[in-house]
Formats: sequence, C-alpha cells, structure tokens
Amino acid sequence: MADQTNAAAPETAAPDMAGLTKRQLKRMKRFDNPWNNPKLIWGITLLMGIIALGIFGRIFWDTDLVFTGAVMPSQAPPGFENLRGQAGLASSPLGTDVAGRDLLALLIVGAPNSLYVGMLASLIGMSLGIFLGFTAGYTGGRIDDVIRVGSDVMITIPPLLILVVVQASFGDITLTMMAILIAAFVWQSPTRLIRAQVLSMRESGYVQMARLSGASNRHIMFREMLPNLVPYLFGSFIANVTTSIVTAVGLEVLGLGPQRVPTLGRVIYDAIDSAALTRDMWWWWGFPTVLLMVMFIGLLLINLGLDEVSNPRLRRL
Amino acid sequence: MARYLANRVFTLFLTVFIAATLIWIIPRLSPVNPVDAMLGRMASGGGTIENSGALLDQLTERFGFNDPLIVQYWLYIKNTLTFDFGLSTASFPTPVAQMIATALPWTLGLMLLALILTFIIGNLLGALMVWEHTPRPWKVVIPAAMVFTSMPPILSGLLLMYVFSSTLGWFPLTGAYGIRVEPGWSLDFIGSVAHHGILPAMSIVLVTFGFWALGMRGLMITVQGEDYTVLAKAKGLRKRYILYKYMIRNAILPQITAFALKIGMLVAGQVLVERIFAYPGMGKLLYDAILTQDYPVIQGVSFVIILMTALAVFFVDLLYPLIDPRIRLGA
Amino acid sequence: MSVLDIKNIHIDFPTSKGVVHAVTDVTLSVEKGRRIGFIGESGSGKTTTALAAMRMLANPGFVASGEVHLNSLEGDTNVLHLDEEGMRRVRLRKISYIPQGAMNSLNPVMRIESQIWDAVVAHEGAMEQSALLERSNTALDGVGLDPKVVGRLYPHELSGGMKQRVCIAIGTCLTPDLIIADEPTSALDVITQRHVMQTLREMQEKIGAGLILIGHDMGLMAQSVDDIAVLKKGVLVEFGPVRRIIEGAEHPYTRELISSVPLVGGESFLHAQAAPPKGEKLDVPLLELDGVGKQYGAVTALHPMSFALDGEEPKIISIVGQSGSGKSTMGSLMLGFNDPTTGSVNFKGDDINKMNAAERLEFRKQVQAVFQDPYACFNPFYRVNHALKFPFENFGMQGDVDAAMHEACEAVGLDPSLVLGRYPHQLSGGQRQRLIVARALMLSPKLLIADEPVSMVDASLRATILANIHDLKDKHGISIIYITHDLATAYHVSDYVMVLYHGHVVEAGPPKDVIGDPQHAYTRLLIDSIPWPDLDRDWGDAGDARAALDALAQIGGTPETVYRGDIPGFTLRQG
Repeated sequence: MADQTNAAAPETAAPDMAGLTKRQLKRMKRFDNPWNNPKLIWGITLLMGIIALGIFGRIFWDTDLVFTGAVMPSQAPPGFENLRGQAGLASSPLGTDVAGRDLLALLIVGAPNSLYVGMLASLIGMSLGIFLGFTAGYTGGRIDDVIRVGSDVMITIPPLLILVVVQASFGDITLTMMAILIAAFVWQSPTRLIRAQVLSMRESGYVQMARLSGASNRHIMFREMLPNLVPYLFGSFIANVTTSIVTAVGLEVLGLGPQRVPTLGRVIYDAIDSAALTRDMWWWWGFPTVLLMVMFIGLLLINLGLDEVSNPRLRRL
Repeated sequence: MARYLANRVFTLFLTVFIAATLIWIIPRLSPVNPVDAMLGRMASGGGTIENSGALLDQLTERFGFNDPLIVQYWLYIKNTLTFDFGLSTASFPTPVAQMIATALPWTLGLMLLALILTFIIGNLLGALMVWEHTPRPWKVVIPAAMVFTSMPPILSGLLLMYVFSSTLGWFPLTGAYGIRVEPGWSLDFIGSVAHHGILPAMSIVLVTFGFWALGMRGLMITVQGEDYTVLAKAKGLRKRYILYKYMIRNAILPQITAFALKIGMLVAGQVLVERIFAYPGMGKLLYDAILTQDYPVIQGVSFVIILMTALAVFFVDLLYPLIDPRIRLGA
Repeated sequence: MSVLDIKNIHIDFPTSKGVVHAVTDVTLSVEKGRRIGFIGESGSGKTTTALAAMRMLANPGFVASGEVHLNSLEGDTNVLHLDEEGMRRVRLRKISYIPQGAMNSLNPVMRIESQIWDAVVAHEGAMEQSALLERSNTALDGVGLDPKVVGRLYPHELSGGMKQRVCIAIGTCLTPDLIIADEPTSALDVITQRHVMQTLREMQEKIGAGLILIGHDMGLMAQSVDDIAVLKKGVLVEFGPVRRIIEGAEHPYTRELISSVPLVGGESFLHAQAAPPKGEKLDVPLLELDGVGKQYGAVTALHPMSFALDGEEPKIISIVGQSGSGKSTMGSLMLGFNDPTTGSVNFKGDDINKMNAAERLEFRKQVQAVFQDPYACFNPFYRVNHALKFPFENFGMQGDVDAAMHEACEAVGLDPSLVLGRYPHQLSGGQRQRLIVARALMLSPKLLIADEPVSMVDASLRATILANIHDLKDKHGISIIYITHDLATAYHVSDYVMVLYHGHVVEAGPPKDVIGDPQHAYTRLLIDSIPWPDLDRDWGDAGDARAALDALAQIGGTPETVYRGDIPGFTLRQG
C-alpha cells in the first residue's frame, strides 16, 4: 500500500502532461529542486531584512542617538501624539523613550545584536552537538551512555534559571559571553538528533559499502554521513537560533544580560519598567516587538521550508 | 521494568544534583565575594541596612566562608535537600522556604492550567492540519494562527494585556485576584482568581500551542501513511473513530515524551509572564529577588523550579509504559 | 454468479511528472467462491485495480472512467456511486482487505480482541461485551489462534505469521462477499507462508467468498488460485484458468514471468562456460573459518563451525536458511563487520580481526560484497559514480577510472551512458543491483560475499542478475559465497550448499544431492513448503502445514550435520 504512489509512477507508461494548468506545471517544476521553496525564500528574505536594517541603518542614521538625552524624550512617531498632546517630530520617525533615546537608532543597533546572540549561541551549540552526537552514535558503549545521560539531564534544566543565577553573581556581561552561556543549553537536542541519525545510518547499505571500500572512520563520518544530515542540521540550527533568541530576550526583559549594549529585549525591559503600557507609549514596546516577530516568523518559515526539503511527503502538488 | 525504574530514578537524582551543584559553583566562580558584592550594592542603592550585622552573619554562615570548600559544599547540599535556603536578604529575616511556599501554589495552578490547555489545543490543531476530513476553512486558519508561535511569551503577554486590559478593559491588568476580595474559599475569590488567571494563561497558551501543533503535524503525517491506518479504513471504521483511536492515539506518544522534555522551557517562559502580569508566583518572586539582589531567594527559587521540572519529567516517564504497551516488556 | 464486475476501468495518478495512467481499460469478473490471482511486477497496477473496488486508492489516484459493480448491493450496484457512509458500510462487510505489511497492519496500542470488536461494532452497532467476546473468539479460532491467549495480547507480542492470521480473522469475521489479499505472505518465510496461505484458503472456502490474491510469485499463484490475471503497465494482458496460463500462456510477458521462476531439477538459466580461469595457488586456504561461533547476549546466532575454501578453483558456496537461521551473521563475520565470539576468520592465513590498517585495506580490496537492498546501497547525496569510483581510488588501483567503470557496466549488461552520472533515485532497483555487481567486478576481488542479492529485485530480473554474478566466477575467477533463502536459485548457481537452521549446519553437500534429494527433516520441510509453479505437485492442505510446523518444533537442540558428499577444495565440519 505504502509503496503504491512511489512504485506506480516511475515504471508505468510515460506521464501524460496534457490537461494541466500553467499553475500546476509551475508547481511541478519546483519539485525538481527542493531548495527552491517559497517558505524558505520568504524566511531568508525576512532575516536579510533585519541584517539590512543593521547595515544600512548605520550608514544612513546616526547611531549615537542611542544614548540618554540625545533627543527630546517621550515623543510619538510623526502623525501621532503622546499623552501630553505633543505631535511627533520627523527627526525621530519611530518616536523616542522617556530617557530621550531615539527608537530607530535603538532598533538599528539592537536588532542585529539579538540576531547575533542567537546565531552565535546556536553555532556553538550545533558544533558541540555534532561532535557529541557523532561520538556517541559512532563509538557507542560507555562514552555513548555518558553523553546520553548527560544530555537527558541537561535538557531538563531550564537555561533561563541558570543564566539568572550567573547574571546575579557576575553582574554585567558581554553579548558574546551571553551567547556562550546560552550555547551550554542548546547542544542537547542536536546531540540527540544526530546520535539517532548516526545510529540508523551506521547500519545503512551505503555506509557498509563505504566500509567495504576500505573507508576510514573519518571518511564515513564526514563524507558519507554528514552530507545526508545537512537538512536536519540546518533545521536544528534554525530551531536553536529561535530558542537562543527567546532565552536571550527573556534574560534581557528581566533586566539581566548586557547592561550597556542596546538589545531588543533591553528596550522592552525599559518600556515595561517605565510603565510605557499605562502611559500609552505603544511605539516604545511595539516596534521592538514587531521586529522580534519579523525575526521569528522568518526563522519559522525557514524551518518549515527545511522540513519540506528533507521530508518530501510534506510537499504538495 | 525494574531497570527502567532504576534508570529514571538515577536520572532524576543526577539532574537535581547537577542543578544544585551549578547553583553552588557559579557564584563562587565570580571574581568578587558575593557577600561583599551584595552588601556593597545594597548600600550603594541608598537604603539604610537594618540588622546589617545579623545579615552579614547569616550570609557568612550560609556560604560558610570559614570552612574548607568541601565542607561548604556538603553543608549546602544538605541544606538544599531539606529545603533550607536560609533567610531572604531583601525582606530579612523571612525564611526563603516560607516565601517559596506562599508563591508555589500560584505558579503550580497557573502552570497546570496553561500546560494542559496548550497541550490539548496544540495537538488537536496539529492533528486537524493533517486529517483528510478537516473542513477547508480550518486548514487555512490553523497555519495562520501559527504566527503567534513566533513570539516569545513576554510579547504575547504584552499584546494580550494591551488589547484586553488597556484597550478593551475586559480583564484586570495585573495581580492574581482583586484588591477588594478577601482570600479564602469564597465564590467571589475563586471567580476573581479565574478572572485574573485567564490572560496570563492565555499568553502562555498562545505562544506554545504552535510548538505542539507543528510536532503533531509531522507525527500525524507519518501515522497517516502507516499500514494500520489503511487497514482501519478498510475495516470500515467511522472516520472520527479512526482519527482518535488509531491516528491521534499513536501520534501522541512521542509528544508525551516531548512534553516531559519541554516542561523546563515552558516553566521558564512562565517566569516572564508572571513578571509582566505581576502574578504573585515564583516568577514574580524571582524577578523581585533579581531587582533587590536577594541571592538566597534566587538560589531557592531556581532550585525549586528545576526540582519541579525534573519531578515532572520523572512522572511522565513513569506513566509512559501505561500508555504504550510496547514499553512494558521492552524495558 | 459473479460477486464483482469490473468494467473498462481507467485509473490515473497525477504526479509531479504528469498524469500516470496506472490502469488502462481493465475488465474482469470475480465469481462467488472462486480465487483469482492478480500477477505482475511493481507498478503493474495489480494492487491499484483491486483497491479501486474498495475506493481506497492511494492519494492522488482516482478512477478516471469505468464501472465497478458489487452485485450484492441493492438498487444501483456501482460502488463508484456510493456516498462516503455507504462506502464505509461496504468495506469489510462486503469487501474485506488483507494487507501486505502484516508487521505494521495492526494498531500497536490496542489489544487484538479490541481490534476485532471495533470492526464488528462499526458495522453491527454496539452490543453486549459477552456477544463481542464470542465474535472475537470465533474469528480467532477459525484461523487457529487460541482466543484466550492471543486476544489479550498486543500486536508486538505476536510473530509475523500470527499477525497475518489475525488480519485474516478480521477480514473474514463479517463473512464478506469478496476478500482482497494484497501479497499477504510476502514478508514471511516459506514454511510460515504455506501455513498462512492455507489458512486463508480454508477460511475463504468456509464462507464461500470470492478471493483476489495479489502477488508476483507465479509459484504461489499456481498453488493457490483458480484463475490468473496478468497485468503489465496497467494493462490486463492475459486472463484465464490457472492451468491454461501456466501450461499454455499466449502472451510473451506471461511466458517470461513463468520462465523466470527457477525450478529445482528444471532447466538452468545459466549458460555453461568452458573452463573458468584459475585463481592463484596458495598453501593456505583463501578463506577459513576456524571454530567460528557468534552469540548476542544469551542468544546463539551461530554455533561453532569450521570450513576452508581453497581459492585455486573458483567456486560458489551457497548458505541457505530462513530469517534468523544465522546466515546473515555468517556473512558479516566473513566480512569482518562483526567479531566472532569464538574461533577466528582467516583470510589467506591471517586472522581478519587482527590485521593492521594496511593489511586490512588489502583484505577489503580482495573481499567484496553485494547486499540485499539495492536501494540503500547508494549514498543518496552522491551520483552513483561515487560508489564505483571511491573504492577504485581508495585501493590505489591502476588505470583510468572512467574507462574501468564503462567496461564494468557493459560487462553486466548496463548501458554506461544511461546509468553513470545519475543519482540513485533515478535508477530502478534492478539497475542499482547490477551496478553493485559491476562495482565488485571493477575491483576484481578474490572473494565475493553475495547476501540475498536478488530478493528485493523484481522476479523477471532475478535470473539476469544471478547470471551476472555467476559470470564473475566463470569469466573472472572470483570465488563466491552466496547467501540466500531461495533453494531453487541455490540449486542452479552453486557448487556446494549448506543448509542452516538455528545457527547449525543441518545438511551440506553438492546441490544435486542436498536440494534434489534432501535427507534432513528440515531441508525436506523447506523444499516441501516451496510453492512450485507446477500444478501437479501438491502443496498440501492446512492440516499438512500445521503438521509441518509441529515437526519443525521437534527439530531443535543440537542437530547433527548430514554430510552429503564433498567437492575438491572445500571442507566443512562442526565445532
């Protein structure tokens, strides 16, 4: 039954292309190259947008406006009024906060910072995961047991709480430092995933063929197994970027995390702390929220797209 | 079975032990003496420190700086395992254990409500995304609702608060019950608690249900192609019966394992939600402690939450053989 | 009276490459109480046609035109006109389905009896618990399972044969007009296959239903059905009583299907060669197993045994056995993929598990393998050339890789321009398996381990691929260890046969003696269980099959090997 669709197609008579709409034909073409996936492309576009904001913002806007008192405080964006009835100024297109910081400048500096923490933490976590996953899956035995139990234990401990303890003891930390700390909590799921994949691939025909060909363990791991893991690794990486950003923002919103560097979470913390909600300063917490949402939707779309790349059953005609 | 149990118990203890040890080691890696740092920060905060002598004594004794490290560690483990976290520095001399005992029921109640809601809603929607008989409008609405998954819980909290409290005024902005209501087992109080609990619970559900739905979607796609689903249809069973007893019943199994693994993440998210809604649970306690540099409270709250998570994982693992007969013999 | 009439049915599958006409203009009728076999290769439309009658086509297939009449329906008998609820009522009650994948066809989290009850309730409404229990007891009793024990079990606690019998119990519990059995025994070994098939026949005769048996094994068809329908690429090419088809097939494709089944004692599909080239003469055996045994925990996969194969005169040694007999364990021990628990595996006198890196590379170069699953043997990430090129370069072999690849492809009858440079998923299973044989040829090893090389390839290609492998011996002087469950091919291909049962060699000798005239009870049972495409050879009834299973249970312990004669250059002993 299950092989019905697969088996029926290639070996019977030649397909009949007549009677299909242009739209269907276009969709069919997409099947030939799974990477040509609209979700994937949209997701990447959104993330590129955030990066572009960081790059072009620095060129066309004055990032010194992130400092306290740089501009008029509590200004609404142009076309809106704050509670005191002052109309927004064109010099601060996204408004300002109570300390007189320009919101656009904060976002230009803050958004790429949040993305940077997520990417770096995920990259370190993935590298650890690949190393541990391959080691556990390929060597087995006692080492495998230790790695497995270790990841079981570490996956239970919520990273945010340990990070709170770290912050409370160390005070201020840098962005990179925070990324490294978060990385200590995002290696577990890639480790499990890779271990499971390596275990199943180890018994697969092509790995046995490679062994027959006298391949070294290194060749088998990196040339035979790793390329087939690429879609999974990408998916896992993106999922980890999301987790890392959520954790980082969570820390920042608690007022922890880097104290002197603007991040999206920090802006939201300040907004909540200064009761922006009751003062009706929606732009203060609204714009960073929208940027975070754009970032997460981009990551979600990339993840869904990658799912479809690695699992053809999810693709639909 | 005995091996399975022993395995789980071992993992539980190891988790609790490692968490406790991390909480102990981290402040010691800090370049500054935590006691001095704390007192310094408090003094610089401008507040006069009443009982500062007693405070210093209790901190020194608590951290046992006069003893060798190994003794300090032993003392700490012993205290922690008996839930003796010392006295709060911010509201000295209240025992930390007492503060946690007051906050814990709020957190547990909110967490249970949110977790159960999100698990049911998420998995059901995920299953409906795949089921061939789902009405067409649902197939469009569900993926669109997935956008909320992309938000961190604080943002959903803020958004809900802005829409339903600030703008519409349907729900109270913060707190766990009304100011004019007397705590107790009265209808008024329970109603007030429910009224206050809806928004925080919803903001957790809103951002987490999509995670379950996506996972369920993948599992359902696999189950849909399984031979037993095909045979169920060939047996002429009713479509809803097949959906519940054959598809969801099998697809849900890995989700339950994931449930255990993700509890930690969800609890952490809840800490943030409690903080925005000023909900008097562990999250709020933790946040206030961070603001006041109340180290014993931070330590105690972190440990109790990790313990709760580890226990939840343990119980889910224990219950798992009851829902998957294949585990029973396989051990 | 006919139960089911299929009239001019066309079935289409829209795919990414365009619309595939899976079934074209098929017309046939199933008479009450009669058994019809649908035979053809994968993709021939045999399952699709049968499933159209249940309206259970896999997505996105649909019936483009034609009629399917179920004559016991009242009013409009065309099932294609029924609404969803009406169709649901037809399934199982009127037409039941016995699936192919017995392993996964039962809900893993439900007890067996509940899976019978839900079917009964879905068609007859809720009833008393005791009434339900009676129904499940009757159903399980009918297929020879103890309802008190089996009913309470979960699917994972049953063997493959038992699961398939549960599926038969479900399929017959509402006494349908028609049973569709989709390769019900393809995952089972021959002894269990006979038992399951006989149970199905017995139940079908008891309830007097029509039966459509879908399969690709002409032997099984000959022993089980009354009429045969041969399908090729969605077209019904031949339909008629089984004797007429087997003895006087008209369509060339049918004749090809029949002749592709090798018969013990029948004509060989191999072309005799004059004198195979000699291998090098060594003082020590090419491959020697010295007291080799293997245990996995408490389970003994292979009891200690020894043999020595001399490489001078190339030979094919067959190792025959059912799944779990230890034959694949032997294969992986010989390749050094597994360490033996006792004894040593020596290649040209050296223990292969004690070699250093350089020796091991040399060993790998000289001992190659062909595995069962041609789909898994190619890394999906690379073009197929990778599998041929990499070992050639890794072993530091002289000469032009591309020229060697082309030459090897041509030697196994593949057109290099059609296969090289493609990705694995673009090739058929048969093409892939021949490429693997070409790979072995290119490396010109001294010894080839062929582990079930044709069991996953379509029947018509099996003979060709085995002939390719046989050529490796005849034309290139490579000795071959042929591991298989198929006694008929072992009979034709090999110079020496060992029959393995529960890790013991129970009978060994030249194939003409061991398979042509078996002495050991197990070998005899195996040969009797094979469904021969020979109508005059009786396969026995359900009682025989049950007696055979009982006899099988008697063989156990530590059976003595029955030695049936020696051939020069090969010695075998227990221990």
